Amino acid sequence: MGNSAFTSRRQRRAAVLAAMFSLLAILAGCGSGDSQSTLDEVKDTKVLRVGTEGTYSPFSYHDPGTNQLTGYDIEVITAVAGKLGARAEFVEAPFDALFASLVSDRFDVVANQVTKNAEREAKYALSAPYTVSDGVIITRTDDSSITQLSDLQGKTTAQSATSNWAQVATKAGAKVEAVEGFTQAVTLVKQQRVDATVNDNLAALQYFKTTGDDDVKVAAKTGDTSEQVFAFRQDDGELRDAVNDALNQLRDDGTLASISTKYFDRDVSIGDAGAEAPDQSGPTRSTWELIRDSAGPMALAAIKATIPLTLISFAIGLVIALFVALMRLSSIKAVSGIARIYISLIRGTPLLVQLFLIFYALPALGLTFNPFAAAIIAFSLNVGGYAAEIIRSAILSVPRGQWEAAETIGMGYSTTLRRIILPQAARTAVPPLSNTLISLVKDTSLASVVLVTELLRVAQVAAAPTFQFFALYGVAALYYWVICLVLSLSQHRLETRLERFVAK
Amino acid sequence: MSQDIAVPSGGRSLVTAKGLHKAFGELAVLRGVDFEVDSGTVTVLIGPSGSGKTTVLRSLNALERPDAGVVRIGDVRVDFGQEPAKRDLAALRAQSAMVFQGHNLFPHLSVLENITVGPVVVQGRPEGEVRTEAERLLDQVGLASKAEQYPYQLSGGQQQRVGIARALALRPKLMLFDEPTSALDPELVGEVLTVMKDLAGEGWTMMVVTHEIRFARSVADQVLFMDGGIILEQGAPEAVLVDPQQPRTRTFLHRILDPI
Repeated sequence: MGNSAFTSRRQRRAAVLAAMFSLLAILAGCGSGDSQSTLDEVKDTKVLRVGTEGTYSPFSYHDPGTNQLTGYDIEVITAVAGKLGARAEFVEAPFDALFASLVSDRFDVVANQVTKNAEREAKYALSAPYTVSDGVIITRTDDSSITQLSDLQGKTTAQSATSNWAQVATKAGAKVEAVEGFTQAVTLVKQQRVDATVNDNLAALQYFKTTGDDDVKVAAKTGDTSEQVFAFRQDDGELRDAVNDALNQLRDDGTLASISTKYFDRDVSIGDAGAEAPDQSGPTRSTWELIRDSAGPMALAAIKATIPLTLISFAIGLVIALFVALMRLSSIKAVSGIARIYISLIRGTPLLVQLFLIFYALPALGLTFNPFAAAIIAFSLNVGGYAAEIIRSAILSVPRGQWEAAETIGMGYSTTLRRIILPQAARTAVPPLSNTLISLVKDTSLASVVLVTELLRVAQVAAAPTFQFFALYGVAALYYWVICLVLSLSQHRLETRLERFVAK
Repeated sequence: MSQDIAVPSGGRSLVTAKGLHKAFGELAVLRGVDFEVDSGTVTVLIGPSGSGKTTVLRSLNALERPDAGVVRIGDVRVDFGQEPAKRDLAALRAQSAMVFQGHNLFPHLSVLENITVGPVVVQGRPEGEVRTEAERLLDQVGLASKAEQYPYQLSGGQQQRVGIARALALRPKLMLFDEPTSALDPELVGEVLTVMKDLAGEGWTMMVVTHEIRFARSVADQVLFMDGGIILEQGAPEAVLVDPQQPRTRTFLHRILDPI
C-alpha cells in the first residue's frame, strides 16, 4: 500500500523490520513441510483466513454505527471467498504486522489495498488488481496556482515519506515535508504551512465524502495510476489463481462494480474513476458524537486489554526480576553471567522487536502463543530485565548488618530475604518500579502489532472511517493519563506505608 | 529446656576453643587461639583494635568460619579444619546469641516483633507464649512501654537494650556482646552496662568484647587480653587488669585508662 498516505508511520516501522520479515520468511519456509496446499485447506475447511487492518477507511474499517468490520476490500474478499465455496474469516492487525502474519501462516491472504510493485511481486504471490486508482493533487480551495503536476515545481507538499506519492512530488520539483498520514497532510494544507499534498483519488474521495470539507479541493491529476491486489504466500500460486478466477467472475457478473459504487459512487475496480467529489450522502457526524460513541468501546478495551496486560505482565515481571536480581548477586560466575546476558538483551533491544520475535518467530520453532499470551510473555520478560536492576540495587542498599543479625538469629537465606531484606529493599525500590509500571501502561499500546485489540488500537479503529484522529487520540491519551494517575496515587499510598518505620 | 528462660548454673566448662586460625587474604587475624569458658561466668575480651577479639566472638556464632580449630559449645562441637556441614554450623549458632555494636535491629519491625521474630519464625515456638516472654524480657531491660514502637523512635541506649532482649529471647546457652556500648553517646552507656550486669548476676554465661575496664573489673570472672591474633595474657580481672605480667598488656591498659 505504498500509495496510501494514511499509513506512513506504520510503513516506516515496517521498513525498520523488513530485515526481520525476511528472516521470518526463511524460518517459515523451513517449517512449511505440510503436504496439503492452502487451496485444498480452504476448500476442506470452507474457511478463507483474511488479514486486514480494520482501520483503513473505506477499504477495511469498522462501521461507526454497528462496529462491524466492513469496507470495499472486506466485501470484495467476502464475495471472492463465496465463489471459492468458503467463508471469509478476518484477522485484524496493524499494517506492520500483516505481511509477517501472512508469512507465519496466521492467515492465507492480505486484503488491504496492497499496491502492486516489483518488490512485492518478488516476495509474494499477487492477484489481479481489484482496485485501480489515480494520483491527484489536493490544494486549498482558494488556491488556483496549481492546475497540473508541473505546477508543483518550487512548491511544498506534505507526504508520507515512504509513499510512492512522495517520489512523484519530488520528481515534479516540489519540496516534500514528511508527515504521518493523510489527515495530517490535509491539515497542513489548510493551515497554509504547505501548498499541496499528492495522494490517490480514492483516499481523497473518501475524505471528502466523510468530512464534507470544502476548504480543500482536488486541483489536478498526476497522470499516475496504481493497482491494488491481494497478497498470498509465494508458494500459494494455486490459491492466487483460484482467486483471480473468482475476481473475473465477479467482474463479469457486475458484483465488483456494485460493491465499488456503494463506497465510491463509481467503479474503481477499473481505471480512470475520476476524482470529483461525490454526493455527500450519509450524515456527517460531529466530533462530539464520535467521542461519545467511541468512549465506551475504548473504556472496554482499557478494561479488557490495557489494564490486565499491564497488571499481569508487571506481576509476572516482578517475579522474574527478583530471580534475575538474585542470580545477578550470586557469587557463582556462571549464574550471575546468565543474569547479566538476560538483562543486557532485554534492555538493549526494542520492545517492539521482542514482541515481534515472540509472536512471529517462535511459531517457526514450534511455539505458538495466542496474541494475549504472547503480549504477556513479551511484556513480562521486558519488565523482568528492567526491574531486575532496580531490585538488585535495592537489595544492595540494605546494610550488611541486617543479613548478619538475621543469620545470627538462625534465619536461612530465603527467610532472611523474605522477612528482613525485601521489606526494607521495597522502600528503595518502589519509586523506580512505579516508573517501570507507568511506562508499561503506555507500552501496552504496542500489543496491537501482535493482534491484541487494546485501547489505542480501538481509537485507531474508531478514527479511521471519520478522519477524527486528533479527537480520538486525545480521548485515548486521557484514558492512559487517568490509568497512570490512579497508579501514581497508589504509589504514593504505598510509599507512605513503607516509610512508616523511617525517621522523618 | 523446660523453664521459660534458661539460666544455666555455673560450675563446668560450657565453651572450649582450640587452635583457632583465621586469615583474611594475606592478613592473619587469629593465629592459634585457645580458651575455656565455664557455665555461669562472664568472660571479657580486651585488646587493641585488630587484635582479633571480634573475630573470636563471631567464630563462636559461626558468623565467621575459622580456617582451622575446634569450637565446642555445650554438646555441639565443630571442627573447622574439616569443611563443616551447614547443619553443624546451624547447631553451633543455636547455642549462642549475639548483641552487635550497631544493634542491627530490624527497622521495619516493631520492638516487640524484633524480639519475637526469631523464636516464632526460626524456632517455631507458639506465638502467644513467645509474646508473653518477650514482654517480660522488655520489662527486664526497662522498656515495657516501648513494645509497639519502631526502633527509630528509641534512643541509642534503648535500641541496644532491645538488641539484648532480642538475643535473650532465643534462649541461648551463651550470650555474646560485641562492643555493645562503643557506638553509644557516653551518657547512654550506663543503662546498657546495668542491664548486662543484671544478666551476669542472674547467672548467664557471657562473653563480652569491650573497652569498659571498670565494667570488666566489677563483673568479669575471666579476662582475656588479645594482641596480634593470640591470647597474650589471661586470668582473673584483678590479675590481668590490675597487675598485668606482659608489657603489651600494661601499655594497652595505660593507653585506655589514661589516654592523655
